[in-house]
Amino acid sequence: MKKALMKDTVKEIKNTYKRFISILLMAFLGVGFFVGLRASSPDMLHTIDKYFKDTNVYDIEVVSTLGLTQEDVEALKKVENIEEVHGTYTQDALINIEDVESVAKMMCIDDINKPVLKEGRLPENENECVVEDIFLTSNNKKIGDKLEVEMEDTTDDDGEKISFLKQKELEIVGVVNSPLYISRDKGTSKLGAGKVNYFIYVDYKDINAKDVYTEIYMKVKNSNQFVTSSDEYEDYISEVKKNVEAIKEERENARHEMLVDKANEKVDEAQKTFDEEKANAEKEIADAEKKIQDGKAELQKGEEEINKNKTKADKEFASAQRQLDSAKAQLKAGEKELQAKEAEANTQLNEAKNSKAQLQSNLDSVTNGIAQLDKSLGQVIEALKNPNLPAEQKGALEQQKVGMENQRTELENNRQQLQAGIAQIDQGIATGQSELEKGKKTLENSKAEISANEKKLQREKKNAYAQIESAQSKINSSKQELSEGEAELEKSKQEFNEKISDAEGELIDARAKIADIENATWYILDRNANQGHTSFVNDTKSIESLGAVFPLVFFVIATLISLTSMTRMVEEERTQIGTLKALGYSKIQIASKYIIYAVLACVIGGVLGMHVGCAFLPRIVWMMYSMMYTIDNFVVEFNVFYGSIGLTAAIICIVGATIYAAYRELINTPAVLMRPKAPKNGKRVLLERVPFIWKRLSFTRKVTVRNLFRYKKRFLMTIIGILGCTALILVGFGLKDSITSLLPNQFGDIFKYDMQISLKGNLEDSQKTEIIDDLSKKDEVTEIVETYMTSGDMFIGDTDDLSSDNEKEVQIIVPKESNELDKIINLSDVKTHKTVPLAEKEIAITDKLSQLLGVKVGDTVKIRNQDDKVKEFKVANIVSNYVGHYAYMSKDLYEESFEDYETNVLYLKEKDGITTDQEDRLVKGIVDRNEVSSATPTSTVMSSIGDMMNSLNYVVVILIVSAGILAFVVLYNLSNVNISERIRELATIKVLGFYDKEVYNYISRETVILTAIGIILGLVGGYLLNNFILGTCELEYMRFAKTIHPISYVYSVAITIIFTLIVNIVTFFSLKKIDMIESLKSVE
Amino acid sequence: MAYIEFKNVVKKYEMGEVTINALNKTNFQIEKGELVVIVGPSGAGKTTALNILGGMDSVTSGEVIVDNKRVDKLKSKRLIQYRREDIGFVFQFYNLVQNLTAKENVELATEICLDSLDPVTVLKKVGLKDRMDNFPAQLSGGEQQRVAIARAIAKNPKLLLCDEPTGALDYKTGKQILKLLQDTARKEEMTVLIITHNAAIAPMADKVIRFKNGRAQDITINENPISVEEIEW
Repeated sequence: MKKALMKDTVKEIKNTYKRFISILLMAFLGVGFFVGLRASSPDMLHTIDKYFKDTNVYDIEVVSTLGLTQEDVEALKKVENIEEVHGTYTQDALINIEDVESVAKMMCIDDINKPVLKEGRLPENENECVVEDIFLTSNNKKIGDKLEVEMEDTTDDDGEKISFLKQKELEIVGVVNSPLYISRDKGTSKLGAGKVNYFIYVDYKDINAKDVYTEIYMKVKNSNQFVTSSDEYEDYISEVKKNVEAIKEERENARHEMLVDKANEKVDEAQKTFDEEKANAEKEIADAEKKIQDGKAELQKGEEEINKNKTKADKEFASAQRQLDSAKAQLKAGEKELQAKEAEANTQLNEAKNSKAQLQSNLDSVTNGIAQLDKSLGQVIEALKNPNLPAEQKGALEQQKVGMENQRTELENNRQQLQAGIAQIDQGIATGQSELEKGKKTLENSKAEISANEKKLQREKKNAYAQIESAQSKINSSKQELSEGEAELEKSKQEFNEKISDAEGELIDARAKIADIENATWYILDRNANQGHTSFVNDTKSIESLGAVFPLVFFVIATLISLTSMTRMVEEERTQIGTLKALGYSKIQIASKYIIYAVLACVIGGVLGMHVGCAFLPRIVWMMYSMMYTIDNFVVEFNVFYGSIGLTAAIICIVGATIYAAYRELINTPAVLMRPKAPKNGKRVLLERVPFIWKRLSFTRKVTVRNLFRYKKRFLMTIIGILGCTALILVGFGLKDSITSLLPNQFGDIFKYDMQISLKGNLEDSQKTEIIDDLSKKDEVTEIVETYMTSGDMFIGDTDDLSSDNEKEVQIIVPKESNELDKIINLSDVKTHKTVPLAEKEIAITDKLSQLLGVKVGDTVKIRNQDDKVKEFKVANIVSNYVGHYAYMSKDLYEESFEDYETNVLYLKEKDGITTDQEDRLVKGIVDRNEVSSATPTSTVMSSIGDMMNSLNYVVVILIVSAGILAFVVLYNLSNVNISERIRELATIKVLGFYDKEVYNYISRETVILTAIGIILGLVGGYLLNNFILGTCELEYMRFAKTIHPISYVYSVAITIIFTLIVNIVTFFSLKKIDMIESLKSVE
Repeated sequence: MAYIEFKNVVKKYEMGEVTINALNKTNFQIEKGELVVIVGPSGAGKTTALNILGGMDSVTSGEVIVDNKRVDKLKSKRLIQYRREDIGFVFQFYNLVQNLTAKENVELATEICLDSLDPVTVLKKVGLKDRMDNFPAQLSGGEQQRVAIARAIAKNPKLLLCDEPTGALDYKTGKQILKLLQDTARKEEMTVLIITHNAAIAPMADKVIRFKNGRAQDITINENPISVEEIEW
């Protein structure tokens, strides 16, 4: 380049520094945004890459359906290119803190996937643990506090239950981040509410169940030379994965065999014990049987003896009886004789007695005579005793007395005779009697003897028979005993048989179970299986696509701006170009001035933009994403690659435009160039053909309208500039609006409930009824809906071919009563926005889920539940939703497909106008109940997002500032071009006596109209761009509502107007400075 | 006192280190209704004088009086008002707004004046009865200059200033334009100043001012101006 031209270029820049700066700014914005947004994604990737390398995160992971062993570890160590192999232990645990139940993943600290210590220290003893930051904040705990975990026992290889941890009460000794859990979402669990809430690391010492590894993590040799998730990395790892695949089957079989062997061993042992016991029992039974047999024989012998004895006794007794009977007969004869004798004796006796009685009566009359005589004698004696008795009498009396006494003596003699007769008789009687008595006595004696003999015999017989009897009864009782024993034996035998068959059955079962031991299945996973990593990588991709769109806006505008201003610049120097051409300069030499001008602007602006963009934009993007991921130490790198691409793009756009503008003039001959360019001709516009309107326009408006259509390029450019400005501002606000309206939409429009109550597992039906009854009695509660909530994985393809891309975790909600669902959740069709009922035999899924899986209404999806059961479902409805993936199905369908319905979540609606205090009290009352695991009011969820949303303001500010710069550059440039193009016209009207304000209006009226059009189009464009951007950077489990609040439109318009006004003020002063002398100059 | 008076007007342009004395103590007077032709070579200062008189440029020193008004002392806004109400300007290159028709170009001026003339009448007067709705590009140079004159006189100014009005026109057309200006001055009794480097047309003027080196070197009063038609050059 010639020196003169170089000088000219430098001078040109000096003179038109404003134009230079505006091109520079466009390059700055374009390159800055491009590089900044493009670099964000690699920066984020490098950050996670560095994090993963620092914490030695695995490359390949193996999990198995049957657990993994030390042998597996050894085998994997031998696999080619595998560098490190670590078997680790993981299990989910329940934690209950202040009646809030949450699920924690218990992990063992290892040299792989090392947690990063943030505070405190790592656990060193078996009763220590480290937790993550949110665990402390959410549960109001601090380092030094204790927590208790509740875990199910695991089963070891011997089938024994064994506790996973040694110590379940753990002291928190530190706070860590885990590279395995960089996102807040930690996946699902079979416990609690089905979601893992926290992770907790314990020391190896605390692990009790050490036989079986739950997973094996591997580090691949040299994998650290690649950036994680880069194609090179993925290719390399999948190569090594193939090596692992190679031993997969062998190890699966080995594991299966090992378990089978162990089980067989156990069953064999059992068989042996069984056999031994069986033999013992059989022997015992045989013994018992023999005993009974012996008893029976003995018994028989006894019985025989008894019978023999009995016969003998019978015979003996019979002869004794016979003797006795003959004695008895003799006795009877004797008796008869005696009786005859007796009868004779009795007759004699009676005779004697009669004689005696005669005698006696004689005696009696004698005795009586005596007695009478005694009496009369007595009276005489008495009368004699009387002294007064005259003697004559006495003497009579005395005589009488003597007579009487004689008489008496006679009598007495009679009496004595009589008495002697009686005595004689008596003696005869006595003798006869005594003789009789004697015979009788002899008889009596014989009788007694016989009877004694008989008695004796009887007694002997009785004794003998009693003996026999007792022997018999003894035998009988023995017999009884024996038969009882027999029966018992029989029973025992039966029992034994049963037991044997049971035991045999068990053994058969056990053997069958061994056969049933399923084959181990290895799952060989890479980092893509890590949810946090994958969603992070996906997020970097959305940022990347964002980086493709935004800078495009700036590049397009930069191109247009350079085109107009460079065209103008070339046009202004038309004559000079012509002259140079005439002087013999080549086209390239002439054009080089403009090219250098543009390149300089481009390079300076671009390099500045590169640095500023690289330094700031990734940080801002990071700031937003760091809300969702726990990764520290963001790595900002100066991205030379994207920098040069951005710069090249800017140069191509701007310099290309310049070359185009320059060559359009340069193709003309010098003669043409040196002549003034014919001004653009005036033309009637279409509107003039509508006299109705045209006539109503004031003169100046007519002028404006005509001018608008005269400078079409400028017209277009201004509109695009303003459009871009308004759109960017609107996008800024729109992004904020859409993201902040996410939860209000979710919890206002879709989830209508006010509180979600998770019930503890294993509640009795009565307990559920009780809590529901209690709650429904509360004034604050208006509705209670019972549901079952669980999670599963949804996919459409084959089970073999699943990854996080085509298998999505979904929350399944099953209402107890289908018709009650709409009280708490609004199933609103995503297209018609009409509320739809829950189908009987089909499911409803949420919009984003259907999009991710590519599912339409009527398609079939598969759901795998927590127990790995896979079922197919037909999709009846696709419903609106904003956060998370949900599937809704009826109770019948659920029970038909998986298992029995069981209420585990209650949704409450509170009465309107409930105060925060009232709600707090309500929540406390609910949480305090034993049945409740957690109670979350919607209002809490809503208030927790405020902080997150604040950082969105950065985005808005960035966009507004960029939009402002864009608006300034575009408007300022265009207005400069406008003035420069029309300077003659403007000078003329100034000469005509237009006031400054009138001159300004003459120009700005056009700008105002263009601005208005630009704003309107910008609102439309902003709306579309907002939707596009939200669509691109939407997180996987979110559906942004794409809402822009009316006030945001107002702000966007107002801010654009303010920017326009500022530019117009500058224009006003430029117009004022226009020298009228210009109008006198000849047309160049 | 004369209607227009230049008293010791000095105009210096500072171009970096060089100072150019465009006007160097210029003095002249013009009476009301006079048709004045200012002649002189390039760089003599005639355009500068005209610009100052038209309120488009300021003086470095000296007095400019127009109808008892000290134009040199006018402040920005008053100066615009002066241009607006008192001055009509005809440019060498017509300076029509390309985007406006002939009539609209006239209206552009009349819109802002209080006692302006009817654009249609004026256009008829300059002989463009049939071209009123044409755009400048559709008009010949002479016609364009007529539009420009019409635009200037429609304002009904006190002073009509013409800077080389025939400079871009051919002889015949130039003559017609000069005739128009002469007629206008006569009929409307308007004070008209015509700048030209063509001394030949001087006889048509009431007064001829010759400029040289920034001074009005020679002022001749032409007692018997002749009609333009009679002048040949």
